[in-house]
Amino acid sequence: MKILEKLKDLDRRIIYLLVFLSIIIPLIPGFDFLKFPVSASKETKAIFDQIENLKEGDAVHIDFAFTPTQKAELLPFFEAFYKHCLKKKVKVFIYYAASVNGMGLGKETVKNIMNMDEFSHLKAGVDYIHMDYIPIMANIQIFSMVSDYKGTFKKEGKIFEGVETLEDIDFILGITGSGWHQPFIDMQIRFHYKFAMAVTAVIGPELIPYYQTGQLTGLSNGLRGAAEYEKLVSEKYEVNYYGSATKGLSSLTLSHLVVFGFVLIGNIVYFIERKRGGK
Amino acid sequence: MKKEIPILLGLIAAILWYGEFFIAGMFFDNMKMFFSDGMKIGGVVGIMIGAYSVGRQNYFKIKYNNERYYAILRVSMIFLMIFLGWARGTSLGTPFSSVFFNVYIPFQATVFALLAFYIASAAYRSFKAKSIESAVLLIASVFVMLSKITLGEAMWDKIPVIGEWIVDAPSSAGRRAIIFGGYLGMITMMIRIFFGLERSHLSE
Repeated sequence: MKILEKLKDLDRRIIYLLVFLSIIIPLIPGFDFLKFPVSASKETKAIFDQIENLKEGDAVHIDFAFTPTQKAELLPFFEAFYKHCLKKKVKVFIYYAASVNGMGLGKETVKNIMNMDEFSHLKAGVDYIHMDYIPIMANIQIFSMVSDYKGTFKKEGKIFEGVETLEDIDFILGITGSGWHQPFIDMQIRFHYKFAMAVTAVIGPELIPYYQTGQLTGLSNGLRGAAEYEKLVSEKYEVNYYGSATKGLSSLTLSHLVVFGFVLIGNIVYFIERKRGGK
Repeated sequence: MKKEIPILLGLIAAILWYGEFFIAGMFFDNMKMFFSDGMKIGGVVGIMIGAYSVGRQNYFKIKYNNERYYAILRVSMIFLMIFLGWARGTSLGTPFSSVFFNVYIPFQATVFALLAFYIASAAYRSFKAKSIESAVLLIASVFVMLSKITLGEAMWDKIPVIGEWIVDAPSSAGRRAIIFGGYLGMITMMIRIFFGLERSHLSE
């Protein structure tokens, strides 16, 4: 049984090659055979509904706490969420938490969105503002925001009219691939702010207990969560906001199937070997 | 005094922070701002210490030929970024941001993307139903995997329901136990630091 021996000691380069192809092929135009309709999960829908319930001029704080490492999974959600906020005409405060490395990425993305015809009339410091980066821990950030929201970030602009403390922020979204926002979850019960998160798929399941207890008012999980949000906003406003998350879903599907196939083959080989009395 | 002062500082910080959390309004607003400004200053000092540490480490690597060329490359890149930022600024459209977007971001994204390849290889070699427990884990993971891709829903509309139940009920219950355990440990550690029993952070 040469095949069995070969499968048992399968060269990892073959695995790498197949995974690579499974990610690349669906992205090539014309290879969209793995595109299936995506339905929104209740966690992602919760974020969307809360933004929908905001009034014009309400304040949304985005805690942009990820680096370019997690760009593929989290940036599409940021784009869709930010466009949704602009559509709802709420004031958007973008703070680059956790790492200075994310700031360039966030500012470039915002710049590209603001160059779109439908948003080009909006002004920095009036409709949205970059709060930049300050070396400060999340729990200190919350306490500072409770005391003096504007003073914490030392920024100026018309956008701060009516926004004095954390109480004036109507919704906070944390976007991260780490445990940075744990103090936001812990202190949510004390300061009564609405706090939701968009995270990488790796840490999504860890946050489900917090969503169940209401300490998180919404949760977007990985690339799929971003694709769900793109769909929700696109359908609601009848615009084409389908971006890289929707495109990436077919890659996600095929790569999952490849991993699933390898696990299946690995188990078949294991059981045949065991039946023969091998290790 | 080298030990006593940090222990005393730990005690004061514990009283203030935990007291503040349980007794709302214990501080005046400007007191809170004092702490936040103090943290910012601490953060800046931390960055300076980090820069010194990186400089020192690479200096010795270059001096004693311990991966000398990597160290030279690392230091050169640091100085290049400092020079670009100093010469033309760091805003969008400058050489600094160009290097950031065209070199740094692809590098970082590549490192993270490599995970997918390692996971596939590791899953093939080790994810086997060797016992009842591992078989249950395997079946659960297959359902969760399928529920996360759009194909799963297209195959059978109950797959997302089963996958969601696994994440919401058994997985979440286990996670909750870990969270409780972690927080109890943190409270214990706080009490130990409060009474000066825990001194590992003072290099003891």
